[in-house]
Amino acid sequence: MNHLSSYCHISTKEIVTDKGALLFDNTEGLEVNDFLKTVYKKLAIDYPKFYKMDSLSKAAFLGVELLKKENAALAEYADDEIALLFANSNASEDTDKKFVNSYAEEHAPSPSLFVYTLPSILMGELAIRNKWYGESLFVILQKFDAAFFADYCNMILLRNAKACICGWIEITEGKTEAFIFLAEKNGNENNTPLTKQTIEKIYKTIMKQSRPSKV
Amino acid sequence: MNIYIGAENIISPLGSTAEENFGALSKNSSGIKKTEAAGFDKKSIFFSRFAENTNDFSFDALLKNCLKNVRSKISPDIFSSEKTLLILSTTKGDIKSENVNPIGKSVSELQNSFELKHAPIVVSNACASGVIAINTAANFIRAGVYETIIVAGCDVISDFVTYGFECLFAISDKPCAPFDKNRTGITLGEGCAAVVLSSHKTIFNVEPMRFIEGTSGNDANHISGPSRTGEGLYRTVKKTLELAGITEKDIDFISAHGTATVFNDDMESVAFDRLNMQHIPLNSLKGYYGHTLGAAGIIETAICLQSMRNNTLIKSMGFEEEGTVKKINIISENKKLSLETVLKTSSGFGGVNASLLLKKS
Repeated sequence: MNHLSSYCHISTKEIVTDKGALLFDNTEGLEVNDFLKTVYKKLAIDYPKFYKMDSLSKAAFLGVELLKKENAALAEYADDEIALLFANSNASEDTDKKFVNSYAEEHAPSPSLFVYTLPSILMGELAIRNKWYGESLFVILQKFDAAFFADYCNMILLRNAKACICGWIEITEGKTEAFIFLAEKNGNENNTPLTKQTIEKIYKTIMKQSRPSKV
Repeated sequence: MNIYIGAENIISPLGSTAEENFGALSKNSSGIKKTEAAGFDKKSIFFSRFAENTNDFSFDALLKNCLKNVRSKISPDIFSSEKTLLILSTTKGDIKSENVNPIGKSVSELQNSFELKHAPIVVSNACASGVIAINTAANFIRAGVYETIIVAGCDVISDFVTYGFECLFAISDKPCAPFDKNRTGITLGEGCAAVVLSSHKTIFNVEPMRFIEGTSGNDANHISGPSRTGEGLYRTVKKTLELAGITEKDIDFISAHGTATVFNDDMESVAFDRLNMQHIPLNSLKGYYGHTLGAAGIIETAICLQSMRNNTLIKSMGFEEEGTVKKINIISENKKLSLETVLKTSSGFGGVNASLLLKKS
């Protein structure tokens, strides 16, 4: 039985993990890029490449760093045993708009923006950071689809990987959301089974928690 | 479980069926032509592109026409079956400067017009999207989630993508020349292609081939530059062969990626050398189609199927003189050869690489 071992959720309001703790509370109301930079500093990670990433990659990067912190076992896998599955409904819309602006308004198409106009680049950043050589898939879905995540993970864990890091990650104007979780083949018996129902339940709980704004 | 692949179709500047496309390749016709004032600074650029001023070749029209053709090549009830899924492979969809998020609308329209039971899934894995989309389809079928999956790939030329590759200094000032000593970069192309994968051989009107295995692997090296050691490509091909239980000795032909940038083609030569595949006949189709990005892996797989049906190797257009870090066996003229087992590979930004194996059934 495959398991959902751990998860975290990032929004501009806060970051929470399955341990329930409110890790970072964006009471100052920072915009996403600044909020993510603050989180990076608080986590005391030394990886200067972080600063040149777009917001999508930054959010995925931080989510995976948090999962690693709480799941020491991730370091035990061979370098090609961890698969990556990420999805959203807007591809790289936020960066696409910035790239259009660079040529249409500023008359200087920006190469550093253009390379991030593919959402799958975030998985390249994760692979480089962690020296992971395994399978990766980015899909665009009309909306969050727990069945897709469950089906794909259970399938990739059959033969191609022993763990799969999954993420639903959307950053558009006024909206930031990254739900990142770890699925494992040889999870602990006490872990949550990896099914459409359990993924759906966690996602809904997270959405409910993150809705009310802080006073 | 056997997985079958067939019912291939291609719409490109070289023709509107797989057969027309293969016919053009057999005559070594290329779709690449010069377009005046297409660049950011109004300079002329080589593209493989459709005639302008017609709606027949818009992103949505291409997909619709391509899928209509595919539908006529399989049992009539398959598209609307509960056990069928459509997977789209694209990098930028119908992107326009004034509308950067057009994919969702296209997907809904396709679902409605073909009466699909499930919302189509869009695979966006840079230039390896096509091969990864096909591999994902095969994995879903093997796991019993679906019985038949239609995989379509489409990308069109836009200012967005043209200016992007221009600012990376990646566009060749002549038609691209994959694996050639004097290659200087890519030529962008546009097109649409589709293949059908199924656990049922009987749904195909014409004998399908078999999909054997497919995997992906990352270079873990650089987001926009290929690895010097070809690590990701080496790993994915090795893994695919292991899962298939075959060795490099069984492979008759490699349909490589070959974008014609200096670093990409060198990287591929290093990976194939490490895999002991330097002697296997290999081509890139970018000299005919340009780089069609998200459509490339599907167009090239469809041509692999045509090559297998016709037992014909197609010349790697643009290749004149050896000039990669490692020597590889680039096909310099069309020739007849019995093709039993074929390897298709792709590589893309984000260090992603993918491979798949096809066999005659």
